[in-house]
Amino acid sequence: MANRPQILTDMQVSFCGSAGDGTIAAGDIFKRAMAEAGYQIIAFDVYPPEIRGFGKCIARTRVTFDQVYSLKPQSDVLLSLDDSHAIPHVGEVRDYGAVIYEDRPMATVEEGEHMSGHLKPAQLPYGVSFRELSERATSGARFRNIVAVGFIAGLYGLPRDLFHRTIGRKFAGKPAEVTESNIAAFDLGYDDGAKTFQVDINGFGPPPKRKKSEKVLMMHGNSAVARGCLSAKIDTFFGYPITPATSIMEILAKEMPKRGGRLLQTEDEISAVAAIVGAGFTGSRSATSTSGPGLALMTEVMGLGSIAEVPCVIFVSQRGGPSTGMPTKTEQSDLNLAVRGVAGDAQRIVLAPTNVEGCFKCAGIAFEIAEKYQTPVIVLLDLYLSNRYEAVALPNKNPFKLDATKWAKKPGKGDAYQRYKLTPDFISPRAIPGQQGMQHTITGLEHNELGRPNDQPAMHEAMSHKRHEKLKTAINYPNLTTSKRFGDKGRVRVGVLSWGSTFGECLEAMITVRKQGITCSAMKVVMISPLPVDEISRFMDDCDVVLVPELNYEGQFASIVMGTLGRPVHRLNRVTGTPMAVNDIIEEIQILAADKPKRRKAAE
Amino acid sequence: MTNIGAPVYLEEKLEEISRSGRLDYRSKSLPTWCPGCGYFSIVESVTAALNRLEIDPCETTVVSGIGCASRFPFFVNTYGVHSLHGRALPVATGIKVAKEDQTVIVVGGDGDAFAIGGAHIPHAARRNIDITYILFDNGIYGLTKGQASPTSVLGFKTGTSPFGNQDRPLNPLMMLLSHGASWVGQAYAGNPGHLSEMICQAIAHRGFSYLHVLSPCVTFDKTTKTYKNLGMMVRGLPDDHDQSDVMAAMHEAQKTEQPALGLFYTENRPTLGDGLNEISRRSQAGS
Repeated sequence: MANRPQILTDMQVSFCGSAGDGTIAAGDIFKRAMAEAGYQIIAFDVYPPEIRGFGKCIARTRVTFDQVYSLKPQSDVLLSLDDSHAIPHVGEVRDYGAVIYEDRPMATVEEGEHMSGHLKPAQLPYGVSFRELSERATSGARFRNIVAVGFIAGLYGLPRDLFHRTIGRKFAGKPAEVTESNIAAFDLGYDDGAKTFQVDINGFGPPPKRKKSEKVLMMHGNSAVARGCLSAKIDTFFGYPITPATSIMEILAKEMPKRGGRLLQTEDEISAVAAIVGAGFTGSRSATSTSGPGLALMTEVMGLGSIAEVPCVIFVSQRGGPSTGMPTKTEQSDLNLAVRGVAGDAQRIVLAPTNVEGCFKCAGIAFEIAEKYQTPVIVLLDLYLSNRYEAVALPNKNPFKLDATKWAKKPGKGDAYQRYKLTPDFISPRAIPGQQGMQHTITGLEHNELGRPNDQPAMHEAMSHKRHEKLKTAINYPNLTTSKRFGDKGRVRVGVLSWGSTFGECLEAMITVRKQGITCSAMKVVMISPLPVDEISRFMDDCDVVLVPELNYEGQFASIVMGTLGRPVHRLNRVTGTPMAVNDIIEEIQILAADKPKRRKAAE
Repeated sequence: MTNIGAPVYLEEKLEEISRSGRLDYRSKSLPTWCPGCGYFSIVESVTAALNRLEIDPCETTVVSGIGCASRFPFFVNTYGVHSLHGRALPVATGIKVAKEDQTVIVVGGDGDAFAIGGAHIPHAARRNIDITYILFDNGIYGLTKGQASPTSVLGFKTGTSPFGNQDRPLNPLMMLLSHGASWVGQAYAGNPGHLSEMICQAIAHRGFSYLHVLSPCVTFDKTTKTYKNLGMMVRGLPDDHDQSDVMAAMHEAQKTEQPALGLFYTENRPTLGDGLNEISRRSQAGS
């Protein structure tokens, strides 16, 4: 048993079952308990689009001492609540990892359909009587999932009371018997796990200590977006439900009214975005959230926002496309739409956070930028980022600047207020309804400085120039990291250029290949439009070859980079509906580093 | 026989208009509509109504979509949004939710409202958002130079219906009544005195008020909804019409051959703003 760790410091647990088994709930209790203990967490659930039925659910949680950036390709523990779904995932359990399964199924199991027949030679089998234990605790089999959580906690010697507290909180609104039954089921599982002989490990190490100035919360990307909105003191929100963005709106629906904010569920995405343009016109800090199909509907109004110069924020969580596509699968394929989807040539600001903490920051800063540059701002997430959980340390002090607007002074007698005044910084001082003597009409027609319709050649040129140049200055917005380089400094063999949720996997891959002796750095690009070309160009100067891994078929970001900078990159594209496998990136880096000329030529 | 009566002198009339304060509500831009267009009397009536109700121009926002009628905001000296085709109502919803103290007036034409923007009307009405929707119905797309609209009469020959319009026209009053609009009225651009009175009432109503204004397109419709035809068709509502009876209102709205002018239906019920305030109160009380 080579390389057998005595005390685990990095554990990834996968719960796998059928819809209705409580797989996601089991994963939720596990990750919440571990986050509360103070460990670092990354967790991501995969589930079918149907609420009931027999679709596959997997809840993966990685628990670590130090910050990590993605899930591991191999889990340490696979817990099966339904063998027919879990058997295909046996291969993702590492050698000497644990596979835990029901040892006394309800009915006769056909040959080849029980987990015990599928384990790899080096994997450690743990047959557990989930159903019997559940029935003993609660006279029903519904608590198999909780027994399973208890078993893992007992097996790894995790504190029992920590889980009791988490279970108590999860069922706080329910009758006391619900909590009692769950705890009884948990305890039976725990006792069973604790008395099981531990073949490979001596438990999981105690959690690290945290700084007092931060509050550590476990949240997913959408929750971080909502918190960012609240910290930025959002006034109004208009939205329409769509997977995977809905939870942003649901959290805000609960929290905004407490703070005097107003939220309205509109009749469709067009009205949602039209309403935030209306609200933005009045000076209200306003946002909506949607996914690809909704964004497609919103593009016309966003064009109005660009030409009428109205601040507003659109949160977009991408899913598999095109059309209705794969609503519960992740993809990064709405980048073109976010950056370019508009009638006419309006540029747009697009921010793409790379982790949960980034979702919080980008959400707040999006409002600052929208108000400073008087324009719609898109914050682009994807399902993987929206739904994945991380333990995030939020600052205690509000980090957002809430007075970015350049306000107009009241014009002198006889002078008219010029809403679209041409100024050296391309930003026209704003006035809003209610202010006396500044009445004006904003319009989607090309207009003069007063906002009156005007389609003269010189005017369209002047106004187009104003609108485009204005946004370019946003690259230098002080409060925002538009891009950042990690890993080796100076000249490197391979550079990985990445955006959005895939960056975590890129970072893990970069760390791994450096250990193998390949010089490598990874750059995340947070501001996708306008593109921070100078930083990217300097990064590319340092790299022999540049790899752009992303979850879309054509390499949309790669195309934007090549089109804007006129320099070649290598694409790595996956459209599996799942996060990119770290191993795929590692393999690609190794091939590029080995410099196989034939392959390089083909890629370029 | 025309009764000439007492002479009207231009200077005196201008002086009178200037003194009235109505000009404070007019912008320096002259309307771009065709001479004789019914919309002139609507802009005149809206400014007169705002003046009469003493609503400050800076406390008023006029929102429109796209179309001839939708150029309206440029001709008044209030805040304004000239938005997108069909999207005036949701933009206005955003404004009103964000800034409850603004008087929000939405103006637009029949195509803007009932074709491309049709999805928004039921929801504005059912929410009872406190805005005034003035619908200019000329039964044609004027800005694109004469095509059939959702209120064009059957058989109407236009650029896109050269063999006659086949689609039955909508009955906007019936729609608004069934959507739950809390104030539904009809006026006629050829009767500016009544129009002005109706606009006043519509703005003063607390809740979603819908005023349907029959207004001829003098350029692209020489045969159906002309001043001459409409003038012969319109009538008043019966004297005993009960404005709180939605069934009676629908009964009157069915008589499309003789459109009635006046207030069909009105009710007082909580507005969207009232509801949002209530949610705020409940969430802060922790229930």
